[in-house]
Amino acid sequence: MAEHRLIAAYRNDLLVQLPVHLADEVSGGLADAHENYVSQGLTPDQAACAAIEEFGNARRVADAFRRACPAWRAARALIVTGPVVGGLWAAALIADRAWDWPIPIAVRLLVGAILASSVLLLVASALARRYQAVRRAGLAGCIGLAALDASMITTAILLAPSLRWLLVLAASASAVRLTFVASGMRRLVSQPRS
Amino acid sequence: MKAEQLKGHLDALLLAALETGPRHGYAVMEALRESTGGQVDLPTGTIYPALHRLEAAGLIAGSWSVVGGRRRRCYVLTEAGTKALSGRRADWRDFAAVITAALEGTPWPSTA
Repeated sequence: MAEHRLIAAYRNDLLVQLPVHLADEVSGGLADAHENYVSQGLTPDQAACAAIEEFGNARRVADAFRRACPAWRAARALIVTGPVVGGLWAAALIADRAWDWPIPIAVRLLVGAILASSVLLLVASALARRYQAVRRAGLAGCIGLAALDASMITTAILLAPSLRWLLVLAASASAVRLTFVASGMRRLVSQPRS
Repeated sequence: MKAEQLKGHLDALLLAALETGPRHGYAVMEALRESTGGQVDLPTGTIYPALHRLEAAGLIAGSWSVVGGRRRRCYVLTEAGTKALSGRRADWRDFAAVITAALEGTPWPSTA
């Protein structure tokens, strides 16, 4: 059966926010529903309207996909917990007078740039409407934050004169976040893309 | 039964719908309607993101196939999904027993 024009329009609406394979999956189900209603005696137009009503509007479906995306969930979790981990590191570094550590200014600036861009990417992922933007920005933000956490833990172990409890606490928080990010990234990477 | 009332239970319902064998998204919704006598009132389109979330969690596995000239993504329960479904069933039985006892004034079944 040829695709009804309303179903084709619904698929096009989905494609504004979703990648092709997701739009294909939903519109395939919509075509099944359409056939089902036609077999129950509705006209093709009535069947298309009934199928679309059953599925809910395209924007709502695309929003549900966005909220189910591991990148969106990870980005929101990291934005919420970020100030706690950041606060712990700030307190630990101030207590240890980290500005005296032998770290070149270029490296300090690089760390600051990675932190700022990771936060921006995570916020972009949490706010983006298009699924691919949510996914890509979230993945990049997670990688940036993971690299930052790993380098902070390594730097603290190598350069801190003594491992005070505040530094241990901050490094532990980063380690927990690293584990969370690694698990989120595994889900993101294993997501079907076609 | 509206979507709000199903919050927190949708995953278990979807896993249960896949227990008897692989299904594509629309067939999952049809199975859900059939098993609940049409009481579940969810926008069918929102089933698909939920299936993707379960797939990302490793509870179901999806694969594409072509049926009747149309590409369909079929889902099947994984071993972790089967375990999760058993756990959800046990949790639900406990939850239902507690709430029934509280609402209907029936005594809580003693295990002693």
